[in-house]
Amino acid sequence: MRVPGSLFLAMASLVMSLTVAVAVLPTQPSPPVPVADSLEALRAAVRAGGPPKDGIPAIDAPRFQAASEAGLAPDERVIGVHHNGVTRAYPQRILVWHEIVNDELGGEPVSISYCPLTGTALGFRRGDTTLGVSGRLLNSNLVMYDRATDSEWPQMLGVAIAGPLVGHGLDELRVVWTTWQRWQARYPETQVLTTETGYVRNYRRDPYGSYDPLGGYYRPESRPLFPVMHEDDRLPPKAEVLGFRSPHGAAAVTQSALAAQGVVELAVGESHYTVVHDPGLDTGWVFHNPDQQPIDPEALRFGAEGVSGSGIEGLAPVNAFEAMWFAWAAFYPDTLLVDGASP
Amino acid sequence: MTARHLRLATLVRTRHQWGALAGIALGYTLLYLWLSGDLAGGGQGGVWAIFPAWARILEARAPFRFEPVGLIELGPLVWTFSPLNLLLALLLGLLVGLNGLAAWRLWRAPRTCGLRGSGLGLLGSLPALLAGGACCAPLLLVWLGLPLAGALAGLSSWLLPLALLLLSLGLWVMTRRLPRQG
Repeated sequence: MRVPGSLFLAMASLVMSLTVAVAVLPTQPSPPVPVADSLEALRAAVRAGGPPKDGIPAIDAPRFQAASEAGLAPDERVIGVHHNGVTRAYPQRILVWHEIVNDELGGEPVSISYCPLTGTALGFRRGDTTLGVSGRLLNSNLVMYDRATDSEWPQMLGVAIAGPLVGHGLDELRVVWTTWQRWQARYPETQVLTTETGYVRNYRRDPYGSYDPLGGYYRPESRPLFPVMHEDDRLPPKAEVLGFRSPHGAAAVTQSALAAQGVVELAVGESHYTVVHDPGLDTGWVFHNPDQQPIDPEALRFGAEGVSGSGIEGLAPVNAFEAMWFAWAAFYPDTLLVDGASP
Repeated sequence: MTARHLRLATLVRTRHQWGALAGIALGYTLLYLWLSGDLAGGGQGGVWAIFPAWARILEARAPFRFEPVGLIELGPLVWTFSPLNLLLALLLGLLVGLNGLAAWRLWRAPRTCGLRGSGLGLLGSLPALLAGGACCAPLLLVWLGLPLAGALAGLSSWLLPLALLLLSLGLWVMTRRLPRQG
């Protein structure tokens, strides 16, 4: 069979452009974590969020200042990252207006993202491209797009659901959603994102509500704004959980259960995971612990690199992030939930 | 000058009528700016202004919604100032004011004349207010909740043109029914 020259050229250029795209944006050819819904179902559930593409502008040239000049309130929420020897805090009241910061940490290009409607902060390696806000939502969650291929990436999935990189998974890095007081205590030398973003916004006000005290959209009992693919009433819609996904399944632990138990052992699918509460940052660190290696909570130490101590060494860390329960359950309907008494 | 111009002119002849028009237009403008998020709380009591982003004056962040060029603090209020958003809000406010005056005149007119008011014009003010909230500031959506919020978000780009159309149409219908002399 003869292939027409023009068709051959078109196919070759498509393959080449995809190769170039994958080279500029580090991805994994298949998502590291099973996705509950088909890509078609996910695409069908995407809806307009109101602003158009880039109507919520990502920060592409972030500026930073010293912690002593930041003037943040102790209980103010920040998204913190410690990576490649660089420590930075991104105040939530700035990210609520921009949702993505295209930054560079120790020479590595990364995107720090935050979705106020699902209360989720995630970091991604972005290679030579940048990420932007598509203006679309999936399960109320920010749908990002990459400027190399225009593929669409729901933030919580980290998997492209449309575009040339459909089905590929982004490479994540751990960020911590905590208060300024806690972050500064752990990392006194941290740099802080300034309000010199290139845009004019009212950075003193969160248009959705308040985390201190809890109010507006962030109240645990308040309803989400947009329909979701799966509903689960085991917890109030906006209850905060620490979630992680693994090849064996997804799991979530409520903040209160994690704080009360200190170390949570979880059988997920046919494997085993350990979640360690970090009392300093009030977050959790997750490890794949297939041999159920015993961990002594008293022997754990918390520092700049996270948690260390007897039993932790040799375990593979798993990325985890805080999320509102309704959003976590909407993306991962089969999730395990630890909400207090028993796993 | 056409007959309609004459009728429109009779709406605002006295000082009271000018005052009413200015009051309604200004009130609506402030309400629009508040609901669209340009005007909000967060001020720390001072009075100052900076204008660092004049280059973005024509940059749209949504249909009929433009990037602020400056930040103005007025006591407890913070105004992210966009000249084009302000002009749009004033235009809408003026149309709402004229609709209000026309509706008032028709309501006050003798019943025997067979004159009736039109709710169309005032109804037209609602899509603009909703557009303000639906487009970029979620405040109104948070109040409204589901399922209206999702629907409004998708329609947001049509709400403001719809408001302008309804307000203009309402004014046209009412001025046709107005007597030439007040």
